[in-house]
Amino acid sequence: MGTAAAPLPRIRAASHHRLRRTILDFLGWGMSAIAFLLLGGAMVWILAVVVMRGYHALSLTVITHVTEGYGGGLLNAIEGTLILAFGGLILSAPLGLAAGIYLAEFDRGRLAPVIRFLADVLVGVPSIVIGYFCYVTLVERLGWKFSVAAGSVALAIISLPYICRTSEMALRQVPRALREGAYALGARDSRVVLGICVPTALPGILTGVLLALAISVGETAPLIYTADWSNYLWTGHLTKEPIGYLTYAIWAFITEPFASAHALAYAAAFFVTLFVLLISIASRMVLVERPGWRRPWTR
Amino acid sequence: MGATSDAETICPTGKTISSEPQGPLPATAAKISVRHLNFFYSRRQVLYDIGLDIPEKKITALIGPSGCGKSTFLRTLNRMFETVPYTRVEGEVKLDGEDIFGMSVVDLRRRVGMVFQKSNPFPKSIFDNVAFGARVNGLKNRDKLREVVETSLRRAALWDEVKDSLRKSAYSLSGGQQQRLCIARALAVDPEVILLDEPCSALDPIATAKIEDLLFDLVGSCTIIIVTHNMQQAARVADQTGFFLLGRLIEFDKTEVMFKNPSRKETEDYISGRFG
Ligand SMILES: Nc1ncnc2c1ncn2[C@@H]1O[C@H](COP(=O)(O)OP(=O)(O)OP(=O)(O)O)[C@@H](O)[C@H]1O
Ligand SMILES: [Mg+2]
Repeated sequence: MGTAAAPLPRIRAASHHRLRRTILDFLGWGMSAIAFLLLGGAMVWILAVVVMRGYHALSLTVITHVTEGYGGGLLNAIEGTLILAFGGLILSAPLGLAAGIYLAEFDRGRLAPVIRFLADVLVGVPSIVIGYFCYVTLVERLGWKFSVAAGSVALAIISLPYICRTSEMALRQVPRALREGAYALGARDSRVVLGICVPTALPGILTGVLLALAISVGETAPLIYTADWSNYLWTGHLTKEPIGYLTYAIWAFITEPFASAHALAYAAAFFVTLFVLLISIASRMVLVERPGWRRPWTR
Repeated sequence: MGATSDAETICPTGKTISSEPQGPLPATAAKISVRHLNFFYSRRQVLYDIGLDIPEKKITALIGPSGCGKSTFLRTLNRMFETVPYTRVEGEVKLDGEDIFGMSVVDLRRRVGMVFQKSNPFPKSIFDNVAFGARVNGLKNRDKLREVVETSLRRAALWDEVKDSLRKSAYSLSGGQQQRLCIARALAVDPEVILLDEPCSALDPIATAKIEDLLFDLVGSCTIIIVTHNMQQAARVADQTGFFLLGRLIEFDKTEVMFKNPSRKETEDYISGRFG
């Protein structure tokens, strides 16, 4: 006992620390778990409501038939949502990427701060304002009808700042050493950017594009003034005929006093949620790196 | 400024160094000749009145303590410093008698290749890394491309190790292999001069020996300039050695002379490890 007494205080101090660490650990884990439950719970709840309520309407008819009054299916709306979302993407992805490249690679240009500011402002503009703007300019001034083209342009304007800024961020993550390596070989700017920087930043760029796609699928307000609604499948006219989309079915049918309309609204909500979920999963997979291709700067 | 006064106090003999080339002129023609070269990061001068002739198809080593401007000097020779916005250079650098500042920078860098201290392979396959160098030169034909990739990898003494895994990521290679891959990539452009900035600093002795052997093979066709912190390496590989101190070229001479009988005290002190 006499010889063991000397080191005893240190052991006790250590166990004190251990106790504190255990408590902190416990608190940390507890808070993470609560956060997870809140988010995960909300997610599961939304999915459950959408699936349970949409369940009655979720038959084969929903995906094989078009809407007839307040019944029928949602084939026209599913098709319209996909066409509008991809139409928007075709316009916004090249432009947004080009702007992102300009911001990240040619920062010394005078226009860069202006573009960056405009992109940030555009994110904050309510989507209904963009919808109305497109209505005034495209439908009224240019004389287009409610149409795929008008709707796609509205969605493109909404997507543009997201694609632009995520591309810029992703390109800025490309290490200087890679750029220098390419320049030192005598490569021109275009080859350095398109051959090295863009491929290296591609996962990040694609994440931004998919985010924009998910936003497009979920938008309603900008389409009300530009795409309107249609009970029929698209016949291929770009500027002449209106087109249906899922979020319209949710927005318009939920307030109707018919059970069949409610069922369609929930079925539409189910599909929108499903699409967004699939897009999110896709964007996670884009970020998963192939084994053996791990970038050294993430080590 | 601070740097200037430091330089003057620690290196009081600086003013006696002329910008004319140090030591006897090499027997072969000068591939690169530098005169009165000053270099500035913003207002801070880091190279002072450098003058030297780099002999053609020889290995030239540059040594000196950390921060003395070796990398900066190397980066002026292929104008890589221009990727840093606030840099400025004064003086004359000629490649085969032609002013490099009057050339197209793209052409210059194709003629004067560079290998960096930290190997920086692209996140591509081994094949595409080397092919990038060849494609920069305008090569498109697939068979030709394959041929250039193979010869470049052979010249970089890497072919036997990677010939069965050309489609694998460059990052699946070891550090020494990655550095040789970067050399192969530079060789694929078929440069006349290769600048190497401490290419072996992250490598073990075996990988270092491989790269040194490689330099001896290359020097028959290229002019090589290598920055190194390793005195033995400079003594082993270099025909000529230049000693930098605080932004000045103190001495530039045949390697044997530099190591056995340097004419300046600073060189002797540095080489014998008395400072730096
Ligand atoms: N990008 C930069 N901006 C400002 N100053 C720089 C920059 N790069 C280098 N310097 C300065 O220039 C001087 C010379 O640097 P340089 O990298 O050429 O030295 P070095 O001889 O290669 O050193 P080392 O052996 O450590 O690599 C140093 O004082 C450094 O602080
Ligand atoms: Mg250096």
